Amino acid sequence: MWIADKYINYVKEQTIAHPEESWGKILLGFRLNKFRMKVLPTKGISKGNQRLETMMMSFVADSLARPDSYVWGNIFAPCEIIQCFGLNTLSIECLACYFSGYHLEDFFIDHAQNAGIAPTLCSYHKTFVGAIDSGAVPVPEYAVTTSLSCDGNLNTFRYLEKKKGVPFTFLDVPYRDDPASVEYLAEQLKDFGNALAARFGGRFDAAALGQRLDIENQTRKALEEFFRLQSERYYPGELIHHLYLMMGMHLLIGTREFLDLIRFMIEDIKTYPKFDGKKILWVHLIPFYQETLQSYFNTNKKYQIIACDMSMDSMEAMDITKPFHALARKIIHNLYNGSYSNKAQMVGRLARKLQPDALIQFCHWGCKQSSGGSLLLKEKMQEMNIPMLILDGDGIDRRNSHDGQIRTRLEAFLEMLDEKETAEESEREEQIC
Amino acid sequence: MLGYICKYAPVEIFESMGADMERIEPDVTSFNQAEQRMHPNICSFAKGVLEEVMDRDYEGVILTTCCDSIRRLYDVLVEEFPQKFIYMLDTPRITKDAGVTIYEQRIRDMIRAYEDFSKKVFDQSVFEARLRADHESRQFNVKSDQVNIGIIGARANDSIKEILKDNGANVAFDLTCTGLERRLVYDEKGVMTGYVRGLLGQFPCMRMEQAANRDELIRKSAGSVDGVIYHTVQFCDNYAYEYAWIKDWMDRPMLLLETDYTRQSCGQIRTRIEAFLESLPSAKDNSHKLKEVHETMEKNKPVYVMGIDSGSTSTNAVIMDQNKNIRAFAVVRTGAKSGDSAHKVYGKVLNSAGLEPKDISWIVSTGYGRVSIPFADENITEISCHGKGAHYFNPNIQTILDIGGQDSKAIRLSPEGDVKDFVMNDKCAAGTGRFLEMIARTLEVSLDELGTIALTSTENIEITSMCSVFAESEVISLIANNREKADIANGVCHAIANKAYGLLRRVGMAPEFMMTGGVAKNPGVVRAVEEKIGHKLYICQEPEIVGAAGAALYALEKIS
Repeated sequence: MWIADKYINYVKEQTIAHPEESWGKILLGFRLNKFRMKVLPTKGISKGNQRLETMMMSFVADSLARPDSYVWGNIFAPCEIIQCFGLNTLSIECLACYFSGYHLEDFFIDHAQNAGIAPTLCSYHKTFVGAIDSGAVPVPEYAVTTSLSCDGNLNTFRYLEKKKGVPFTFLDVPYRDDPASVEYLAEQLKDFGNALAARFGGRFDAAALGQRLDIENQTRKALEEFFRLQSERYYPGELIHHLYLMMGMHLLIGTREFLDLIRFMIEDIKTYPKFDGKKILWVHLIPFYQETLQSYFNTNKKYQIIACDMSMDSMEAMDITKPFHALARKIIHNLYNGSYSNKAQMVGRLARKLQPDALIQFCHWGCKQSSGGSLLLKEKMQEMNIPMLILDGDGIDRRNSHDGQIRTRLEAFLEMLDEKETAEESEREEQIC
Repeated sequence: MLGYICKYAPVEIFESMGADMERIEPDVTSFNQAEQRMHPNICSFAKGVLEEVMDRDYEGVILTTCCDSIRRLYDVLVEEFPQKFIYMLDTPRITKDAGVTIYEQRIRDMIRAYEDFSKKVFDQSVFEARLRADHESRQFNVKSDQVNIGIIGARANDSIKEILKDNGANVAFDLTCTGLERRLVYDEKGVMTGYVRGLLGQFPCMRMEQAANRDELIRKSAGSVDGVIYHTVQFCDNYAYEYAWIKDWMDRPMLLLETDYTRQSCGQIRTRIEAFLESLPSAKDNSHKLKEVHETMEKNKPVYVMGIDSGSTSTNAVIMDQNKNIRAFAVVRTGAKSGDSAHKVYGKVLNSAGLEPKDISWIVSTGYGRVSIPFADENITEISCHGKGAHYFNPNIQTILDIGGQDSKAIRLSPEGDVKDFVMNDKCAAGTGRFLEMIARTLEVSLDELGTIALTSTENIEITSMCSVFAESEVISLIANNREKADIANGVCHAIANKAYGLLRRVGMAPEFMMTGGVAKNPGVVRAVEEKIGHKLYICQEPEIVGAAGAALYALEKIS
């Protein structure tokens, strides 16, 4: 670790001093980390989570090493269509997280803000804009973004198109859920496939897309099974593994290797003991760096995050015979689209399936679409008698998450859960007597 | 009455059905109700709309899916007012045929929903008559005898225009959602389709795919004015992207103005706009008062002028003679009423100069309290005055960092000493004198000591929190961990320096640098800023009187 920390500090210093000359060093670090994960997997976590982090690190390191192998996307971009051209999708949110591995998020965020980008914008977007604008990170040939789930998407991609000349496809996701909306988006997805064919060569094969959606259906089903098992068994992992899973479910969904991984995790988790602690359902992003949250949720037998809503933001099976319509329907039905009552219902459904003891929503700085309805979700959870905690902070910028405040809120909430359990137990005992 | 907020809302349809339509323009003093129902980080405009709707009796509200905050506003309104017609119109971001088709369909659905709700009936012929009666009106209005200002960016309310008018400036165009005239299209072959095409074909806002076309119109429009105000709304991030982009090519002076749609920030907005107008090369003189001065001035008598800077922490005054020599200066703490402190410093500086009130030919006031000084002949913003004062003390200065009690600012000067650009932080206490006072209290040292002990620090401590309240908690944690006061004080000075650096970067870092304001007396902050910018700071003997000296220089210019 000592060598790794030294290297991280070195890359950070070099990037701040000469952003345009540091890419080779940043990339080398990613590749070394991939190698390290393969030969020296993180100790104390499950085999499944070890494989998960290695797969995600390889995905990013290998893609970035070959600039012609990927396009930029946002986390909701239809990676399945992009995969049909042999290309990977690197989402700007995930890349921002990887850059923060070098603790560079503050430098990139300040760079973006000094250029005039709003300080109240989402920190993932600011980190990414700063990374590109400063010249520290090279640009690919093409990009794609959906309007789902935030206003920042179109504006970030448009800004980078103007500043760095990266053309992009914009997919306008309607708010309403009706056949007209599906038709409207399906046409855009078809056009997107054609745009990729024109740019990268080759013909678009709708049958190949259907096959990917078939794998996707199986993966989603498998993940549901895994989450069910995770609500029953203690499965050692860390906060970041929930992000890796979220990343896989959006960028590698539709690939055989990711399906195989989830199936492996299902078998793996069955070898672990029963979980008797408090089961937490997590809503929205996870600040993986946050010390207090790490101390409570990293490999802790008392408290376990059993699932995160973002990994299960689409829940229905897709019709593989009509792949564009199926994809359109999937995006429109996403938990983050439409009204907040729609989201509250979907989270409620997830809660009924997994039976968590409590729900935590993390309100990420700058994310209006998620934070804006947090009070409505709390009302819904109250109806279902599920305690809910709203935590304010920042998914990536450490300066916006105050440990003292997060610690007090979280500990008070967990104390409340423990007391609730004690009260319920004594009530049961009284009834028996 | 139905309320609406967005230019893409099909207002004319409701009007043709006999509904009374009103564009909701929040004019509120607080977000008390909104903050009980929405997260505080939601856009100020959306919170303002919620306040308005809760206070007034609307039959319903027509919203469009224009942004994340408005989508969440809809969720809250539906919950609060189940009996009202709260309608979310799903508005496409694409203006091509597919967008027109789906929007027309959405609008027809909306008509049916309103018919069900109100029992009113949509009549195509009444609607057609309504469309034919309308015509596009003029959107550009450049006047040759006034300073011409254009407004771009996020929706701007009338207060900006009123301030411009008060200062004799003409609003030549307003390209924000609230300033554009509606573009109605009447197409006999397909009335509804034509109308929808017209709606979507308006000057695009930042949510639309085709917003790239904005550049061309902005470029063309800006060419006809003296300066541009780029307006953004707090917690609405979309327009800042455009500002970041156009500031690199805009060939007109441009002010970035953020407002929060409440009346509370009116004073700050006024200061920014007035400073901007003063910095424009074509700013016009308002010299009618001077006649009286010239008539009464005795030619053989020495001339004295006064500058008074009414700041939040101190009120400072300077008396200057006609040769620009400072005859006397005075500094007093600003009390609860800035007017009282101004009277106090007025008496004190006259006394110290050995002069009578009648000896002073012209008084210019500056600072936050500048408008509350009844005996001043004129008021000029502290930004222009600091620029003028800095150039007076050291003509090589091109970049000024002023850290005052309640705000901090960076000002960029031309080699001639004119203000070329400025940015202010007055939204939060972090990076201001108040912040230092707060930390000094927490550390149980005096404000003066805080700077000196910082210099004795031996270990670097980083205060990472960007908010002053968080930073104070962080300092308390450090005290609890038995960290040395000197190291904490030094960490705080570096936190201020980091904030200052951000401001300085935004105006451009042209040497020489000067620091003004009370915090310039703090050696810990000065050292930290110098380290951060890699340059020495010029600090004059009395850094608090730079603004007042600048005001006195303006007074001299006025009467000469």
